[in-house]
Amino acid sequence: MRVRTDDEVYRVDAVWLGPPKATFPWRARYVAWGVGIVVFLLVTAVQRQVGFGFDFINTGWGFVITIALTRFICSRISHERPLSSVLTMWVRELTAPRETTSGRGGASSAARIRISSHRPRKRPKGAKRASAATRSQHRGQQDRRQKEVRGVRTPA
Amino acid sequence: MFGRRRDRDRRSAAHVAQHAAAARDDHKVYSKRGRRLPGEQAVPSYTPSISARSIDGHLLRTGQEVYAWYRLAPQRWSFRSDSQRQDLIAAIAGQYAELQGRWMHLRVTTRPYPIRMWAEAHVHNAVRRLPDTPGTLSFDDYMVGEQQQLMGRSMAEKEVYLGVQVQTRNMMDRAVERAAPVLRKVFPDAVDAELVAIESEIDHLDQVIGSAGLEGRPATSEEMSWLMHRSCSLGLPAPRNLPAVPGAPWEPEDLASFTDAADFHQEPYSPTVTVRGRTGSNAGIKRHVAVLTVGLMHGLQIPEVDDPWIQRSDRLPASVEWSARIYVRRPEEVAGELQRQMSKVRSQVRHYTDEHELDPPQSLARQASRVLEIDDEMTSGFTALGTRVRSWWRLAVSGPTEREALRLAQGLLDLYKPKVAIEHPEAQYAIAREFIPGEPLSSSAYLRRGSVLWAASAVPTATAEVGDRRGILLGETVTATRRPVAWDPWMAQELRDSSGLTAMVAGLGAGKSFLGGGIVYKTLRAGAHWTLLDPSGPLAALCELPELKPYARPINLLNAQAGILNPYRVVAEPQLEHFMDEEDPERSWRRERALAAATRRRLVLDVLSGLLPYEVARLPQTRIVLLRAVRTVGGRPDAHPGQVFEALRRDASEHHEHAVVVADFLDEMRERMSLLIPEQDADPYNEARDDRLTVLTMAGLNLPKDGVGREHWTDAEALGVEMLNLAAWLTQRSIYERPKDLRKGVWIDEAFFLSEVPTGRVLMNRFARDSRKWNVRVLLSSQIPADFLKIQGFVTLLDSVFVGRLDDDSAQADALRLLKVPIGAGYEQVVASLGRRPGGVRTNLERDRAPRQFIFADGAGGVERIRIDFSGPHLEHLRNGLDTTPDALRDGAAPAEVEVSSPPQDPFAYAEQYSDEYDDELAADLEVGLADELVDSAHGEGGNRRPGREGAA
Repeated sequence: MRVRTDDEVYRVDAVWLGPPKATFPWRARYVAWGVGIVVFLLVTAVQRQVGFGFDFINTGWGFVITIALTRFICSRISHERPLSSVLTMWVRELTAPRETTSGRGGASSAARIRISSHRPRKRPKGAKRASAATRSQHRGQQDRRQKEVRGVRTPA
Repeated sequence: MFGRRRDRDRRSAAHVAQHAAAARDDHKVYSKRGRRLPGEQAVPSYTPSISARSIDGHLLRTGQEVYAWYRLAPQRWSFRSDSQRQDLIAAIAGQYAELQGRWMHLRVTTRPYPIRMWAEAHVHNAVRRLPDTPGTLSFDDYMVGEQQQLMGRSMAEKEVYLGVQVQTRNMMDRAVERAAPVLRKVFPDAVDAELVAIESEIDHLDQVIGSAGLEGRPATSEEMSWLMHRSCSLGLPAPRNLPAVPGAPWEPEDLASFTDAADFHQEPYSPTVTVRGRTGSNAGIKRHVAVLTVGLMHGLQIPEVDDPWIQRSDRLPASVEWSARIYVRRPEEVAGELQRQMSKVRSQVRHYTDEHELDPPQSLARQASRVLEIDDEMTSGFTALGTRVRSWWRLAVSGPTEREALRLAQGLLDLYKPKVAIEHPEAQYAIAREFIPGEPLSSSAYLRRGSVLWAASAVPTATAEVGDRRGILLGETVTATRRPVAWDPWMAQELRDSSGLTAMVAGLGAGKSFLGGGIVYKTLRAGAHWTLLDPSGPLAALCELPELKPYARPINLLNAQAGILNPYRVVAEPQLEHFMDEEDPERSWRRERALAAATRRRLVLDVLSGLLPYEVARLPQTRIVLLRAVRTVGGRPDAHPGQVFEALRRDASEHHEHAVVVADFLDEMRERMSLLIPEQDADPYNEARDDRLTVLTMAGLNLPKDGVGREHWTDAEALGVEMLNLAAWLTQRSIYERPKDLRKGVWIDEAFFLSEVPTGRVLMNRFARDSRKWNVRVLLSSQIPADFLKIQGFVTLLDSVFVGRLDDDSAQADALRLLKVPIGAGYEQVVASLGRRPGGVRTNLERDRAPRQFIFADGAGGVERIRIDFSGPHLEHLRNGLDTTPDALRDGAAPAEVEVSSPPQDPFAYAEQYSDEYDDELAADLEVGLADELVDSAHGEGGNRRPGREGAA
């Protein structure tokens, strides 16, 4: 048996040939007219923004640019790839995840973590003063030593 | 993975920050001793990066909808008639039509041929295998060789899954799912309420998909896991070990095991998407995946001319993944759309003709008529085969480099040319994601519309499956797919309860001996016992293979000692212990003994009348006197034909004179019949030897030429045929000498004589009946299929068939009859072209060493064209041994034949109890076809009754 798709039915080339009895020398699909109008408005808006005045020459150039752009866009779309899906695919291209080439993290370092071999504990009340005295003594010694070596690079 | 990496990183960053904050607070711990621990609050929530949220059984839930997934059964396609194929397509189309208003997701993926699993199954199945002979190929090395031979090729098994949309989910369902952990404690029924509510719907779908056509069954957890893995790691090699499948449903957190296995990325507008494996066996492996889509399609003639269009991609030497989104439309939706299209066409025509006075393009008229056609298809008839679908069909191929992937993509394009356009769209990443179950359609481009019949004619399940998964490797299929073919000759008897008869038919030089020899060698290694009857003798070379030599015995029957073909001894005597599992062992044993005795008498009668000159044999009184003499001698196993001669001379009836004449004729041939009549006190059957392989050869035997009628046979030819017949019975005897469950094989080469002698059919029946009970595989090979067809009821007894190249037209048709393949459907050409070398090389001086091809019907429904492949380097000695092509340049000595030693006679008592066994005997006589002669002899003159000989000739 012969099996075939129904696609042909949906591929009606709806063209607008121009107003009745005044046939344009070109044949453009309705979608091309639609795209053309939007592009023309955009082009004119850009011209205004850039600073071109609204005169015959500029509008003429606007038309030329519009035709070129419309032809380009219409060459990209077809019944297979309607304008909407081309736009969707364009967005999908933009939002697809990229390969991450820059390295993140790198070697981790524990240099900033303070380490001591004992955890601080509560001391009995009586011993507190004595220990404070010895501690201050110690601190004095430590300070002196630090003062001595300050600014000197220690051999690693 | 999948592009949402960033927010997960952000989450984990927050997590780290939280811990850091906790660390900063440490020094205040004195004052905050009673502070509450953060508890479970610290665990960041996980949202899978794919749409799927949970998997319960075969149900996959996303945020919006519930899909039920089914695994579709493979369907045979080759060697079926066109009407069968059309029925299949119509059945599938009918199933699609029943799914109106639903989305379907069709996924075709591949499972690499599990060679490791095959090897495991094969070794497990190889019970009582041959002990290794030192210095030769050991079983382990043999298995390694077999696996290496397959490893070098890309052979994958196709798996087809179909997801069907069950229902969309509402806000409530999602809220309940989100609150499930709490809700489960408070109100457990609410959590399952969603799935319980759709139970009847799922049952309906199970039933629709499960009926003939798609034959889908709900996917198991393992299959869901496999499908998810293959989809989330699209294009990567199959994972060597999958994580264990949980017994419970997959929660969202569990889905990470699929998504974390790989990640996808691509450059803008790059032609491929890169998939990088991250865990397991695929860690660090990168693959480039080119995703294609099916474009415009011409009308296809399926099944007459074209293959099902998905199956075509199986021809690519790499695996192709398919993902199709199909929406089955409701007729009212289509009707409105068609009307719109029609008015569009009309207004265009008016625009051209009325407003611009131009001729409208031809296409408009064509489109208008097609609209009417579709409208007609949809409204006419009672079947729903006019139902319409919208569908998107994507394919993916992968390669280690972008260039390789694109080369495969180009290969696909070429495969489908010119009738189907395959497009290479942009947005590769987005389309690649479509392959993951539960993901939405990424873009509406390349929409294909058609009827369900068109969608069904893709037949994704069409495969070329044949054989099983634990047997010996024969080769690979060569039709639409390349798939290794393994065949366990004892599976039919052990598991399927069918007979063990195999016919092997092929013309001269088509590779019969090679195939059979390979089967014998490989199954011997796996523990089988074989007895071969090879009249011409080259198979004796198997006994010379070093690893088989200690266990093999070649016997040249023509040089063997007298009495080895004694017709009374070639029929084995039943042993009582073999009937112990019957209801009444004693009775069955006695019945069997009566049957054996009747068989002996029948055999002796046939052999002796076959040896008589044709004119004498066909006389009715010859038959009568012979029958009477045979009856006088009885059916004892220790009798011999010499006793029949004496009985003939003692005949006291009215045919006495004729009996003496017959006896004289037979005595005349006595010296030539020495193999049939044992010498006094020298019975060759008293020695029991346990040989794994016995090759009986009869080199130098005179056999009649093909197509020569019985009446034109010379005495020597008649004797040759009878001896061959007796030798065939001798092989059959070997079955009963071994334990019942042991795997045994019998191969009778040049089996054409079975149709020439009346006992051939008796032998066939015995083989068919006992092959299952005694676990025997019987290979019968011949050059002419008609020889087998002549044996009544043979085709129904057959289990499997190998058909090689045959040149004759009628032989081809006969071969198809054996295969139970439709005749006149063009398959005769296939038989003619099996393994034929191209015409241009006729003058080639090189030998044709191309692997031979066969059509293999495995008895379980599979029929495929296969290529015999024993090409592994570990089998080189086998190939050399089986090389039967003459070569004058080869120097080699003829293998020495081993004589059968003659043991001393050990007479054993045997007393036929005629009185109480009469019923059994009559039944036995009826079974072997002796009864009609019984009646004749009882009535004296049989008139012009047709002798059995003519009936068979």
